[in-house]
Amino acid sequence: MRPVLFALLLALPLAARAQDIQWHGFLDLRIVDAAAQRSWIAGGTGKLRYGGGGTQGRFGGAALIGTAQLTPALLAYADVQFRNDDGASLELIEAYLRYRPVSLTPWRWSLKAGAFFPPVSLENDAIGWTSPWTLTPSAINSWVGEELRSTGTEFLVERRGAHSSIEARLAAFVGNDPAGEILAARGWSLGDASYGFGGQVREPDVYALEEGVVPPLRYRPFVELDQRLGWYADLTWRSQRHGRYSVMYYDNRADPTERSTYDGHTTFAWRTKFWGLGAQRRLGPIEIIAQAMTGSTLFTPSPSYTGETRFHAGYVLAGWARGEWRPALRLDLFSLRQIPPSEVPLSEHGNAITAALSWRPRPWLRVTGEVVRMESWRRQRILENAVAGRTDTQVQLGARLLF
Amino acid sequence: MIRSGPFRRNARCFAGALAAALLLATRLLCAAELFVEISDQDGGPVEDAVVSLTALDGRPALPDPPPSTTKSIDQRNEVFVPFLEIFRPGDRLVFQNNDSTRHHVYSFSEVKSFEFVLAKGESSTPILLDRPGVIAIGCNIHDSMIAYVFVSDAPWVGRSDRRGSVHFDKLPAGTYTIALWHPWQTPGEEGAAQHITIDAAVTSVRAAFSLSLLPDPRQPRDRERSIY
Ligand SMILES: [Cu+2]
Repeated sequence: MRPVLFALLLALPLAARAQDIQWHGFLDLRIVDAAAQRSWIAGGTGKLRYGGGGTQGRFGGAALIGTAQLTPALLAYADVQFRNDDGASLELIEAYLRYRPVSLTPWRWSLKAGAFFPPVSLENDAIGWTSPWTLTPSAINSWVGEELRSTGTEFLVERRGAHSSIEARLAAFVGNDPAGEILAARGWSLGDASYGFGGQVREPDVYALEEGVVPPLRYRPFVELDQRLGWYADLTWRSQRHGRYSVMYYDNRADPTERSTYDGHTTFAWRTKFWGLGAQRRLGPIEIIAQAMTGSTLFTPSPSYTGETRFHAGYVLAGWARGEWRPALRLDLFSLRQIPPSEVPLSEHGNAITAALSWRPRPWLRVTGEVVRMESWRRQRILENAVAGRTDTQVQLGARLLF
Repeated sequence: MIRSGPFRRNARCFAGALAAALLLATRLLCAAELFVEISDQDGGPVEDAVVSLTALDGRPALPDPPPSTTKSIDQRNEVFVPFLEIFRPGDRLVFQNNDSTRHHVYSFSEVKSFEFVLAKGESSTPILLDRPGVIAIGCNIHDSMIAYVFVSDAPWVGRSDRRGSVHFDKLPAGTYTIALWHPWQTPGEEGAAQHITIDAAVTSVRAAFSLSLLPDPRQPRDRERSIY
């Protein structure tokens, strides 16, 4: 994180002279009918953001995003968000500089340096890495928001045609060595609490107790533990006629034997690799988005034991893309398998149906009603004296003020 | 391209008809008007289509080439205005930044490539458009900003309005080839060239065309997605 802050400090004198500084953001307030099971954010094994039952007003979050066009080719971007799900927390979601000189050929390159999301999500293209379709992102992108952030450099080259373009990205990054731990410890979840630098992810209390730690057990997902570079590559084809198609590979190249002590707890490095596939297509007024991910994460807490978790997830979303009213429907499927299985296996499988209706009566207002119904089966819940398989429903009515 | 109103045209044609009766030279003096109506695959009107007319048999007398002009494309609220403009070879193009923000206007088209960083209130130097063809224009700061310039050496050329209609005036009798172009027209589905014959006896002709268009990539400005 320090190099990022340093780069941003260097950019400040330029920013003072920049003509184009913009501030945007949102303030999100909701009424939530929570799922019955205690949320993982509160230390439970519930997979939704809000658990424990009951209907009450909630603070969904606030974001402040600053952009400064320092020179015609140099853009500075920073996104800071505030949440109070697991204690009040102000976190830096992304901060980077992008250098993109103009090109008078079909080829154009750019370089991004700082802390940024790997280009996994096809949903989260609205302000502050939110989804314009639903409040709750898919299982895949919920995990990206919780545990994936690249601190480093991304090189992008585009070839632009009359009606289509091809983009290739290659990035090298430090940090993010614990990425994958939450999938092993908790499994997949659906929630729009995006974590940033300064934030800590909480593991289920039953997992902490199994590890011999008095809960709450929290860790910082973006730290560097092994001084090894991670990388990802992405290839995207965009066509005005056929839509957008992406394939990516990610490997944090963490050394699974590494660990470090933060805040009195041991944080392990998890070697996490995955393939991601994405497709987005417009069929008349309907937008279709689909993504799939398959990968694995492993750690070696002792020379005699390596725990691996293989994870798979996918979703299909269909949304109405015209007018003030935007209904969207999404089906998520997810599973993961622990190898070798422990006495109380951390394997799981499940699905979720999300139905949302967004209304944009004013440019500064978005009102969204959303129902998430999730079926999941996870043996870990037995440790909480609960049954492994359950169905949870979370209903939200939210107002997001945009500025 | 002539955009005079129908009343003026009718009056002119009436005068022309009188003259024709006197001089027995109807065909040369009483010119017809042509309305081209363009719809998309869903039957909706197509705006910003370019309709070019060329004489097929060489019989229609060609209009005098108009004098070279300079036309500008503005930037307002991070949008190029107009989205599409027609030029003649020899015309000049100026970009004018009437926005509160800076723009980096550029094109890498084969016909003409250029780039201008324009602070608010600034205008580019005039660009001489010497060759016919299509020039796609973007802004390297704001990816959503796009515009098109169509440089045409056709004797008659026009751009469709919001109702999908192009109006040509004072067309001499003869047979014409009508060519259509639109930025979103589906590649490979341009269709064969169409011909139309304007008889000396008629004063008004209508021609309807259908274009298969790709989805419009332009998104309306939205605060929720205004981060570039
Ligand atoms: Cu611009």
